[in-house]
Amino acid sequence: MARTLVVQLARLGDLIQTIPAITALRMANPEGGLDLLCPSSLAPIGRLIPGIDQVLEWDGAVWHRWAKEASAGLLPTHVERATKQLEALARHRYGTAYVLNHHRRALLAGSVLADDIRGPLLDGPLGSTLSPWASYVREVARTGRGCRVHLADAFCGLCGVLPPGEPPMLRRPSCPLPSGLDQIGRRGEPWIGLIVGAGAVERLVPVDIWKELIIRFLESAPHGRVVLLGEERERGRRIQDLLPSSLLGRVWDVTGRTSLLELVSVLGRCHLVIGSDTGPLHLAAAVGITVIGWYCGLARVHETGPYGVGHVVWQAEEPIDKSSRRRTDIRPSRWPIEETILFLLRGKGALPAAVAPGWSVWTSHCDRWGAYYTESGSLSSPPPEREALWAELSPFVLR
Amino acid sequence: MNNLPDNLPWLRKTAPALAEAVRAAPGGVLSLLPSREGTVTAKHGDRWIHSSYDPRKEARAWANAQFKEWKDDEVGVGLGVGLLYHVEALASLKQDGRRLAVIVPDVSELKDALDARPLGSWPEAIEWIWGEPEDMARRLADFGKPLRFMTYAPAAGLHEAIHREVEASLRRMVASRQSGQLRIAVVGPLYGGSLPIARYVISALESLGHRVTWIDHSAHHTSYERFGSYREIRHRLTMQNRFAELLSLDTAARLAEDPPDLVLAIAQAPLTAGVLAHLRKKKFLTAMWFVENYRHLTYWRQVASHYDHWFVIQRGECFEAFRRAGAPQVHYLPMAADPQVFYPSLLTDDEQREYGADVSFVGAGYQNRRVLLPCWLSPEWTFKLWGNEWEGAAALTSVLQRGGARIDTQTCRQVFNATTINLNLHSYDGPSLDPQADFVNPRTFELAACGAFQLADERSLLPDLFTDQEIIRFCSADEVPHLIRRWLHDHEARRAVAEAARHRVLAHHTYRHRMEELLAVIGLRYQDRIGAILRGDRNAGALADRAETPPELATLLGRFRRDQRVELKDMADGIRAKGAGRRLAREELLILLLDSYRSETRDLV
Repeated sequence: MARTLVVQLARLGDLIQTIPAITALRMANPEGGLDLLCPSSLAPIGRLIPGIDQVLEWDGAVWHRWAKEASAGLLPTHVERATKQLEALARHRYGTAYVLNHHRRALLAGSVLADDIRGPLLDGPLGSTLSPWASYVREVARTGRGCRVHLADAFCGLCGVLPPGEPPMLRRPSCPLPSGLDQIGRRGEPWIGLIVGAGAVERLVPVDIWKELIIRFLESAPHGRVVLLGEERERGRRIQDLLPSSLLGRVWDVTGRTSLLELVSVLGRCHLVIGSDTGPLHLAAAVGITVIGWYCGLARVHETGPYGVGHVVWQAEEPIDKSSRRRTDIRPSRWPIEETILFLLRGKGALPAAVAPGWSVWTSHCDRWGAYYTESGSLSSPPPEREALWAELSPFVLR
Repeated sequence: MNNLPDNLPWLRKTAPALAEAVRAAPGGVLSLLPSREGTVTAKHGDRWIHSSYDPRKEARAWANAQFKEWKDDEVGVGLGVGLLYHVEALASLKQDGRRLAVIVPDVSELKDALDARPLGSWPEAIEWIWGEPEDMARRLADFGKPLRFMTYAPAAGLHEAIHREVEASLRRMVASRQSGQLRIAVVGPLYGGSLPIARYVISALESLGHRVTWIDHSAHHTSYERFGSYREIRHRLTMQNRFAELLSLDTAARLAEDPPDLVLAIAQAPLTAGVLAHLRKKKFLTAMWFVENYRHLTYWRQVASHYDHWFVIQRGECFEAFRRAGAPQVHYLPMAADPQVFYPSLLTDDEQREYGADVSFVGAGYQNRRVLLPCWLSPEWTFKLWGNEWEGAAALTSVLQRGGARIDTQTCRQVFNATTINLNLHSYDGPSLDPQADFVNPRTFELAACGAFQLADERSLLPDLFTDQEIIRFCSADEVPHLIRRWLHDHEARRAVAEAARHRVLAHHTYRHRMEELLAVIGLRYQDRIGAILRGDRNAGALADRAETPPELATLLGRFRRDQRVELKDMADGIRAKGAGRRLAREELLILLLDSYRSETRDLV
């Protein structure tokens, strides 16, 4: 029987949000071969996804280099070399490739490796007719409104499967942490992971805000510890410089010092992870850690909130402008420090009182239609529009 | 000595015909002497070919310097034979796979080298190039790789003329094999004499079949002039410099949006050192045709090292000066004429009255012209002076036309055609003829292209371009009245000279010739890049015919004309044009994939 390939060539957050679709595809066909094509840099994460047999690594840098050479003067050898690369990448041809990016490149990669592609376009990699789910995702991405189906569940829709019903988890990496990091999570409690950077500038939390949060937390939790996480070593250093020296023994800065697998391990040792960078937040949620998200910029909780149960997201509210039909880039003027500390100390019971001005606060759930968020203080009943959307966009799945 | 019997066998192995020629040659070109450290050294006449102290040490130093510049994919070509110490030193540094060739202009000299000392087996790894210059050039061209010429000056100096002939043949060969189309961006100046030259260059390149993008800054001239109206000189300079920087950045942005194979700047093009450095980092190939007197305009010093190739209109000291300033490659490329713009034309009576005279001069009022032209006025002939910047030249007021207005190209051509004797006095900021009279100005070629008779001041580089049967020259101001008298009434003789000059221009000195030569020089340097495109190796037909081309790709290439250069973008556009919804072949998908990476704009700004 022909094997199936899932193509996800976007960033970390997108790969993690592909896990429910992979899980659902596996559940639909427990015996069939199911492989994943993802960027080389994310392949270690791909190998932790349950249900994947083999991870194919897409080396974008090599393609960039070849494209540069070919554009300087196209030669048959350029095409031949690319063919060989693909033959080495995939030893067999796939029956179906599920392409979960709208980027033309992902569609082309899927087309070259599989007989049939399913994904955002109905008429092949050169087409322009969006599939119903792709239209929905695009509209949500454009306006930022009306979203009640999580992106991860929309990926399921693109693959023609229903969400798995329960949040799937990543496998924990088996490699041990280096001795310098191995003490994390061992003594003291709670350990709070702070993702101090962000892929997009508009989502960066100022270092002064992190400083304040750390001081308030460590003063309130005498046994608490903080781990600074992320790639931006300089930000980690700047935050440490701002902290009183008496607290430094309780703050671990691992920014820029962890591989992706080590990051997964460190996240797994935290009791709770806070940040505004959605990629690592998704990663933390995928290893079963409760996540607090500060969503601002273009990030929206209903679309890309951490997938699972019990995660909390403070969503910066956009100014009410009914005339605007485009997604607003929201820049908060204050950050929910008080409210977050309250939640850290008292748990969910504190949430109704933890609504900060300019922010709303949401809690995550999961059911047969996938993940959803309810606003703190309101009834936690699932939003009804999801079922209607599934019925409209994927009637054949429901039959 | 007497090492020939031991050395000839290896030469027989690699080049039997050359070995035979060496055996039969008389030798005795070099005088052999012992050096201070005991090895044999050589002289030619009074000139030392190798060190009189330690030829090996000297050769090692030379070879080390050459080796630093020698890239893996280049064939090294040694110029200069001598006793081969330098070749031996270079061969000892050369790694396997690199090719080293040596030009042998004189077999007798090689015989002296083979007889002078035992050589061992290293010469077997050398490719010996000998014969007529044309044959030697053909062998070099057939390498099909970039060539790096390494000149051991003391020995190469003995055969400078032959080396030049080989080089010229090589360029001609590459030029004659040009059948491919390059994408060339021509960066022009804001204003000035090099602006029309940019136009001629573009027209020539297009006539050769290349796709040319003109980055035309002349549209900004008015703004630039406006910045010149400040009273304070610092303000003016600051604003004009900043404006030039902005235009430089504009050039970079345009290049980023449509990357060419070659960026060809014409003198005064506003490209700053910073932008040029950035272009080099991004692998753009740059060349500058500096159509100015390097002694007068000296801004080239700041950017000399930033262009990959310099083409200049002067030789000798000019080359040295550019090299000292860091120019990696400097080549002589004289001015020319565009026969579509300058051609013989019949004038109406009215035009003849307006533009005609016995003697005319067209040009700006440089000091030497202000001093010398009045000496050439005479009641014996009518005289007209055309051009601008003649303010205050009282002695010439009576002959100055149109009140000293700047005249356009068309008027220029009409004056040239209507005048019996055109004076061509090269500009100089002194009261005499140019004491450093080397380059030949565009007017020389333009007058000749019009079939107009001219008297030109002597230039050291003029005899290489025109014979004295084609252009009549004067070496002193005193000669001019005599020459005018000699030629003014001899219509037939004038016509013969002028026609010969026109034939010379059409055969050798058009901008088309110059661009062929310029591209040949660059093509030789980058055989696998520019050279391959010029040879037509990147045309659809050549690509489809390659043995390694799979049939599916050949089918895609078949959609293009065989003589059409095919680029990745063209292939991808062709595939996309066939529409969506159909099943794409693997090769089509791969082309589209590569193109999707290509289309990400280069971040130059």
